Amino acid sequence: MRSLRALWHRVWGTFGGARRERELADEFESHLQMHVDDLVRTGVAAPEARRRALAALGSAAAGRDAWRDRRGLPAVEWLVRDLLHGARTLRRNPGFALGGILILGLGIGVNSAIFTLVNAVVLQPLPFRDADRIVRLWHTPPQTTFAGMRVFSLSPANFLDWEAQSRSFEAMATYRGGSQTVTGRGEPQAVTSIRASASFLPIFGLQPTLGRGFTAEDDREGTPDTVLISEGFWRSHYGADPTIVGRTIQLNHAPHTVIGVVAMPSFLDEVKVLMPLHWKAEDRAERANHNYRGLAKLKPGVMVREAQADLDAISLRLAEAYPAENTDWGALVVPMQDDIVGDARTPLLVLLGAVALVLLIACANLANLMLARTHGRAREIALRGALGASRWRVVQQLLAEGVLLGVGGGAAGLAAAWVGLDALIALSGPALPRAQEVTVDARVLAFTAGTAIVTGLLAALIPAWRLTGRDANEALKEGPGRGHSGGGDGRVRQGLVVSEVALALMLLVGAGLLMRSLTGLRAIDPGFDARNVLTASVGLPQARYGTPEARNQFFERARLAVAALPGVESAAWVDSLPLTGGSSQYVAVEGAPPVPDSELPVVAVRLASPGYFATARVPLKAGRDFTDADGLEAPKVIVLSERAAAAFWPGQNPLGKHVTLKMMSDQPHEVVGIVGDVRMEGLDGVLADTQSAIYAPHAQFAFNGSDLMVRTRVSPESLSRAVVGAIRSVDAEQPVLSLRPMTQVVEEALGQRPFAMQLLAAFAGLALLLASIGIYSVLAYTVRQRFREIGIRLALGAPIADVLRMVIVEGLKPTLAGVAVGVALAAVLVRSMASLLFKVDQHDPRTFATVAAVVVGVGLLATLIPAWRATRVDPVETLRAD
Amino acid sequence: MAPHGKNAVWQGTLGLMVLRTLATLGEQHGYGIARRIEQTSGGQLTINYGTLYPALLKLEQEGLIAAAWGTSDNNRKARFYRLTKAGRKQIERDTRQWAATAAIMTRFLAPNEDWLEGERHAVAARVVASGVGHVRRRPP
Repeated sequence: MRSLRALWHRVWGTFGGARRERELADEFESHLQMHVDDLVRTGVAAPEARRRALAALGSAAAGRDAWRDRRGLPAVEWLVRDLLHGARTLRRNPGFALGGILILGLGIGVNSAIFTLVNAVVLQPLPFRDADRIVRLWHTPPQTTFAGMRVFSLSPANFLDWEAQSRSFEAMATYRGGSQTVTGRGEPQAVTSIRASASFLPIFGLQPTLGRGFTAEDDREGTPDTVLISEGFWRSHYGADPTIVGRTIQLNHAPHTVIGVVAMPSFLDEVKVLMPLHWKAEDRAERANHNYRGLAKLKPGVMVREAQADLDAISLRLAEAYPAENTDWGALVVPMQDDIVGDARTPLLVLLGAVALVLLIACANLANLMLARTHGRAREIALRGALGASRWRVVQQLLAEGVLLGVGGGAAGLAAAWVGLDALIALSGPALPRAQEVTVDARVLAFTAGTAIVTGLLAALIPAWRLTGRDANEALKEGPGRGHSGGGDGRVRQGLVVSEVALALMLLVGAGLLMRSLTGLRAIDPGFDARNVLTASVGLPQARYGTPEARNQFFERARLAVAALPGVESAAWVDSLPLTGGSSQYVAVEGAPPVPDSELPVVAVRLASPGYFATARVPLKAGRDFTDADGLEAPKVIVLSERAAAAFWPGQNPLGKHVTLKMMSDQPHEVVGIVGDVRMEGLDGVLADTQSAIYAPHAQFAFNGSDLMVRTRVSPESLSRAVVGAIRSVDAEQPVLSLRPMTQVVEEALGQRPFAMQLLAAFAGLALLLASIGIYSVLAYTVRQRFREIGIRLALGAPIADVLRMVIVEGLKPTLAGVAVGVALAAVLVRSMASLLFKVDQHDPRTFATVAAVVVGVGLLATLIPAWRATRVDPVETLRAD
Repeated sequence: MAPHGKNAVWQGTLGLMVLRTLATLGEQHGYGIARRIEQTSGGQLTINYGTLYPALLKLEQEGLIAAAWGTSDNNRKARFYRLTKAGRKQIERDTRQWAATAAIMTRFLAPNEDWLEGERHAVAARVVASGVGHVRRRPP
């Protein structure tokens, strides 16, 4: 208590004014006078009394100093004084200060920006109550049939068994995505919806902001058609109408009662409408169809691996009880955050590592700048030392300068990060999860401040250590303009340049490997031609299109209307676009021995309209395309991919043979055509490489949702409005979704890689720039130091070419050493980014060689100006200068 | 400045001396306090600016004394210090503590105890003074 109070006074005292000091002087004076008075009273003569009193009281200056130390906090006072002194020094050297702040600002700015992303996406817990206990539940499919597929959706019967038998979870929920057409209020609008179990919202700790949520009864059929709408949709579509609860809205042309408004979890923020599960008895018994997502909340204290063991045991029991559907089907429990962040984690961490390297280079650069400048101040500092400044005090002053530069750089960097953040998020595209949660928060500010101060200190430490280590006599003896290059100093500076080059090279190798991966990915032939193709998506509401005939009629008329548009070459429907996944089904092949369903071959099954292969430019290898004659009542037909044909009937003619699509019908379909293989599940991966496909006529199954592919003669985007108009001419109330060119679908299939590559390339470029500045400044400095020597050489008749070669060799030495060190380090570090690479060896010699050549080339460029300057040395001038 | 360790002890004891002085004399200026301490110590302590005023400031900061400008007996302007309530309590506390410390130290320094460094020197000095050239270790 007492010491706290004193501390409080001392903090104030640190910044106290001069008034109290004047008072102290008065107090000293009165003390002295009283002392003198007393002595005089005892008979001492006045001058003698004064002399004695002064001797007894000691130096007033020393007394005041001791008093001052007690009055404030001396350490703080020194710090403030050092910072002020540093600020003055920097103001006298605005070029140096600006350069330092710019270099650090670049380094810190990229760090702040990337850390902001990492913080929001990877570090911050999901914004739910007990977020660490929320997990995602997946099936793991048998690898014999779904090679390379890690996770799979759940089937209702399995989900219900998990729920009934597991003991690890407080609650389990399931949901399924879909879309609904909202009519009755302005333009018809298609919105994303989910059907979710009543436990869905409670798992996230979410309460409707208006009205109520679902109850367990809503999970079963027979309860009224109720709906919860998202807060965003409530605002945008219903003007935040407070009386919305209890109103009836039209979804897919059927009335639904709104029972509440809820803020959806951010990872599902595109969902506007939440509907009850309404499982019928046959839905609940469905075990083979995997269409649902699973969620659960762990009981407090239960670990993910315990829950995993729990579900593993249940999966084994289920496989035994239902071998036909469940053999080799497992379960996977993933913390929700990992599931959402997923693939974004590695690239973000790689990028964070990359910017850390950039910062190190910036730091080395600044250290070099400071070293060069403090070298000029060696005399001043040696003099201070000789006058009794302790070594630590001198170091403190240099460090204070570093901290000032760091803080300046930090402020500049933070501002840059703030400005650049939106561009960064835009660049990341849909590949970045939780993008809407990205903000500059207290943690980012603390990170930036910490980075700024540490970087500034680090940059100042080397010059401080070098300077104070020097012999004062030596430094004082040197003439002002003639400081020697100092063997030790030279080595330190060369070392800094070596590390800069090595770091830059590592970044370039990373960027180079990613670039090659991306080129490799883009070079993959997906089996179709994505150029000049516009895609769109429609979902027909059951209430208006209850019969297959009605749906077929819509699809047929819409296709003809779009195909008739000017600029359109052809149009066709397919139930899932290539590269975006879709239905995988067991099929029974004619002539194959009978086996249980679970051992049947699994292939991608797509429903395609006539003209699909021509529109997508999937080559027809044999037989025929579908025609308008392949309708509902016509004989059942299919087209096989080449790989499917080869797998089903190796060495035989597949045309005329039969396949049964057992999950959709029990009628065999006759093979009428063979087409080229198309990548259905993304560009790379085992599945994408090996999947077989079967196409059935769109009209023979007449689903109500489908994707439209339009081959255009003009730029696909320019036809967007016309295509929507053509579809609306068939049904004015039919919304059209996801209008985008097929090239965008391809780009999305590349995932995180373009984002990571572009940023890594940018950072590597920045690193190379900083490193070349480092090479240049050190060499320029060395050349200046050696003007005399060069002058003498020239005077003695050395050819200019010799001087040139000498300087260039001098400049290339650290570059080459840096390349050697960088190659060795990069060879180790590339392991961290292995999962981002595609068909490129981590140690791809071509990438390493190219990068090394680029670095040496840039290093050579950086030596040119100093070399040129060396050749311009005038021997007479330099010799006379001394 | 005095070496840190010595200074710290000195500051602590000087603080208590100042408090005691104020308790005895009532309100007093810096010179009066210094005078009184020097006299009480029998002239063994000399107080200068550098020791007294930091000590007064410390007590002030800790709220144990308060100060105000006034006029001295012989009409000189001076800054007068007086004890606060907290200062009075502090005297009691510190006095108890000092008494306890002093008792312990006295026992330590008393003769017939273990062979202490200080004592050995004292014995050696006595021996040298008495002209006997041989120092014998005392049996334990």
